[in-house]
This record gives sequence, structure tokens and C-alpha cells, in this order.
Amino acid sequence: MNPETEKTMAFFGKMTANLTHEFKNILAIIQESAGLMEDIMAISPLSKEKYQDRFNNSMATIKNQLHRGMQLAARFNKFAHAPDQTNAQMDLDETIDHFCTLTERFARLKNISLQAGKGTPPGANLTTNPVLFYMALFYGLESCLAVLPANTSISIAPAEKNGRQAVEIVCSGPQAPSADEFSDGLRKSDSWNELEDAAGQLEAEIECETRNLCLRLIFK
Amino acid sequence: MHENENHDKHIKILLVDDEEELVSTLSERMEMRGLDAAVAPDGPQAIDAIKIRLPHVMVLDLRMPCMDGMEVLRHVKKHNPEIQVIILTGHGSAKDEEQARRLGAFDYLQKPVDVETLISRIRKAYRHTL
Repeated sequence: MNPETEKTMAFFGKMTANLTHEFKNILAIIQESAGLMEDIMAISPLSKEKYQDRFNNSMATIKNQLHRGMQLAARFNKFAHAPDQTNAQMDLDETIDHFCTLTERFARLKNISLQAGKGTPPGANLTTNPVLFYMALFYGLESCLAVLPANTSISIAPAEKNGRQAVEIVCSGPQAPSADEFSDGLRKSDSWNELEDAAGQLEAEIECETRNLCLRLIFK
Repeated sequence: MHENENHDKHIKILLVDDEEELVSTLSERMEMRGLDAAVAPDGPQAIDAIKIRLPHVMVLDLRMPCMDGMEVLRHVKKHNPEIQVIILTGHGSAKDEEQARRLGAFDYLQKPVDVETLISRIRKAYRHTL
């Protein structure tokens, strides 16, 4: 296996392991909620009334978890099709929104909030290699997660820079690092080399705007 | 009543998982079966909970915010080695299982798990504390 394929496999492995973990949690919650409903159904009819609210709550939990699972599955399916084409037009708002749903857990584990921001102008498209694009976003996110403490936020959004399409990963929060710490930390993070590699293959520039803690990927 | 169920009411359990809907439902199902199960949504709160009420058995997730499950396990085995820890995780790597067992985990289960299976493992873990 050549080194590029190995890196791509490692990236897909990380994403898949993360998502199967999410699916297992969803299934476990559905299983326990359905099990609780079954337990309630099995008890004496006389005492069922006092469990009515719990029964209804379990039903609501199952519906919520089904919704969570379906959303993840739809986005994961789209992500899984990224290697179908080496060059494809991507709707950046939608792609970034999907990416944030798929990777939200990485941020949650560090108590950092992650959200997709709205692009300016809206409806921007980019024609590029979808796998490398996802990899660049992922390693950019991982680099930011490496330098941020808990209770901070990351927002990812499409942007324009000097007439070129860009994606901005903006970090914020009262506990956020100083501009120097941010810049040094990104470059020292384990994912920085992977980010440079993916960006290099996309012929994208990496710009670190320390003033507002922004990591920007500028595409050709 | 089954012989096991006579002992169940003596077993103090602590369920630790950041999926709060999972642990709250699990604890409710355990209570309906006569078990005494408290919950904690992360590692630091689990460690605080131990100081207030020492459980016999801890059911612990591995991937959690604030403090990784392995760190919690290491802490528990250092300060309260009498607590038996059952890992219940959706993260199924053999490497994790090997590390958890090396750190002293009593058992290692994959999510989702049948509640009766979990309770039977809890009973087994409890017997090791006697």
C-alpha cells in the first residue's frame, strides 16, 4: 500500500470508528427505552398509571434517537460516497454542515462546541477532490481541537479570500489561547503535517490569522 | 424470589456514561429489578460520587468528555481497588479491552447490551467484592 492510500485509509478508519460508536450509543438508548416500556407493560395494570409519564418519555426518547440516527446515517452515506469521484462540485454550506454533524463528537469529547456557520455569499460551490477536501477539513479541525481548552467554540464556514473560495475554522471563547499560543500550537499539533499534506494535494493555501484565531484554507 | 435477587438490594452500582438518557433509563430498569443504581455523566462526577457513596460495582464508558474512562479506571483502581469495574463501551478495539483488563477492569462489554446480561455480570462482579 502506498503512503497516500495508507493515510486515506487511516482517515476513513477514524471517521468510521467515531460514527459506529455514535450508532452503538443510539442503539443502546433505543434498546433500553424499549426495554423500559416492556418492563412497564409487564407490571400489574393497577400500578401502570404511575408509570404513564415514563412510558411516554421512553417513546419520545426512541423517536429522538431514531431522528439522530437517521441524520447521522444520511450524512455518513454521503461521506462514504466521497471517493466515487476524484473531482466533484460540492455545495460548501451543505458539505460543511454534514462534516460538522459527523465530527461533532470529537469536539464534544473535549467539551468544545462545534457548529457550521453560514457562508458568505451563501450557496458557494467548490469543484475539487471530495476525499482530500474532507481530509483537509478534518485535520484542520483536529489541529484546532489540539490547541483549544474546554468550554471554547469552533465554527466552520465557507468564505471568500481575494476572490478565491476559502473555508474558515474560527475558534473563540473566554478560555481561548492567545494569538501566539494559537499559531504555535497549530503548527506543533500532531495533525498539522496531515493538514499540510492534504492541502498540498488540493493546491490549497493554509493561512493562520492569529488576530481572530482563524485557520483558513484557500482553494485554487 | 431467586436467590440472586435477595442479594441484589445490597449491591450498590454506579453507572458512568455521558449518554445521560442511556444511564438514566438503565438505572430505572435496574431499580425496577430491586437494584440500587446511581448515575454520573462523566469521570470527575463519578469520582465525586464515589466519595459520597462507595459503590460495589461501577459500570464505566470509555470515551467521555473531561476525563477518559481509562483515566477513571486507573484512578478507581489506585484509590478504591475494592470497587469492581465493568467497562461498557461502544468503542470495540481489542487494544482497549487489553488495556482495561490490564488496569484491573473486571469485565468488558460492548454496547448495546441486554440488561439481564449486564445484571448477571454485575452480580458476578459483586461476588468478587465479598
